[in-house]
Amino acid sequence: MSYLILNGMYKDDSFIPKINELVSKELVKRDVKGETIDLHKNAIKPCLGCFKCWIQTPGVCIIDDYAREVAKKMIQADNLIYLTPVHFGGYSSELKKALDRSICLMLPFFRVYKEEIHHETRYDKYPNLIVIGTLEEPNLKQEEIFSELVERNVLNNFAPKHATQIIYHSDDESTVKKKVEEGVRIVGDDND
Amino acid sequence: MTKQVTFLMCSPRGDKSASYSLGSYVTRLLEEKGIAQQSFKIYQIIKNSQKIDEMIKSIDGSDIIVLSSPLYIDGAPYMTIKLMDIITEKNNQGKLSKKDRLLFANSNAGYLEYYHNNIALRIYEQFAEKNGFTWAGGLPIGAAGTYAMYPIPEFLKMLEPLPEDDPRKEIYEKPTKIIDSVIKTAVDHLSKGERVPESELKKLEFIPMPLQAYVDSGNKNWIDTAESLGAKDKLRDKPYELKK
Repeated sequence: MSYLILNGMYKDDSFIPKINELVSKELVKRDVKGETIDLHKNAIKPCLGCFKCWIQTPGVCIIDDYAREVAKKMIQADNLIYLTPVHFGGYSSELKKALDRSICLMLPFFRVYKEEIHHETRYDKYPNLIVIGTLEEPNLKQEEIFSELVERNVLNNFAPKHATQIIYHSDDESTVKKKVEEGVRIVGDDND
Repeated sequence: MTKQVTFLMCSPRGDKSASYSLGSYVTRLLEEKGIAQQSFKIYQIIKNSQKIDEMIKSIDGSDIIVLSSPLYIDGAPYMTIKLMDIITEKNNQGKLSKKDRLLFANSNAGYLEYYHNNIALRIYEQFAEKNGFTWAGGLPIGAAGTYAMYPIPEFLKMLEPLPEDDPRKEIYEKPTKIIDSVIKTAVDHLSKGERVPESELKKLEFIPMPLQAYVDSGNKNWIDTAESLGAKDKLRDKPYELKK
């Protein structure tokens, strides 16, 4: 059982590193091994929208930079965890620059799934998805958008199980700990 | 005083993109109403502080901002989020004066169904709210690849001579006419400094063909393109699969 944390914090964020530490500790407690990638410390070029990772070099982005390694680690993990500030209801640009480059993990082919058009799976197995967003203070509209975004992502990245948590900067220590435990509760469950 | 619009084109595919085609159509119609336009291709300016300052100056002087973006993985692409980061940062630094500005957006996707774009548009609405712009509404456009190939006016001209019983009339002309009409009405409202009525935007909530027909034609297109690139037999490769 393994995990990969994609840390999408902005470089001056002092809150997410604490959450990252708590999540990592919680995972180790559950005997899950893995690593955190601090995306802001890595040079990742933006997706060109060229679809060559689908139709020219299938499964591999044509841009040869660290995003290739990120995509490989994403699909090889059992549990994928996004850490991000909730940003206008969505993900941070730091997280999204890596996610945009991971479309090589699905096939170009369309299919009708749950009465909607989605892409087909490229791999036989996909990781569980845990998304932890942080907010300075409660913001109902942004939280709704964020949760719906994760639900839509799950339809497109084929996560067998998923969880979403929002942690406020104003949460006290025990609440933060509880939310982290709740967020990672699906890790270690038998989903094979 | 002449009104001004700033066009923020967020697709890395440049002039070949649906974002360019759709957004530039909106701003061209605004220009025809006497509204001066400045446009910025975000992928060209994102790392150029001088160009960013020019963009901020343009936004500062604008009454309308038109943001045109593709949909990437259910939401705003990196480039568009980065743009919102920069504008918000500059605004927080006081680089944007207090002024009424409308933000009008479009999100366009390769999926057939318009509604895949709804979350991205809600994100742009939050961005508008955070920055004190008035959210003027958003166009959710599905099957947008068509408009990357054929700008709306040219596409309608191409389709017009087809006989009435040609299936392309129903699949392409009818929906494109609706989009065209909504854009023209939107431009009328924007040029008067008004939001686009929700009832108008709701006209875009349709699915122009059966899902399976779109799936079949889309999949054939992927195979044909891969074949032309010599990659047809590798389309389902799993390069990152863990070796057992």
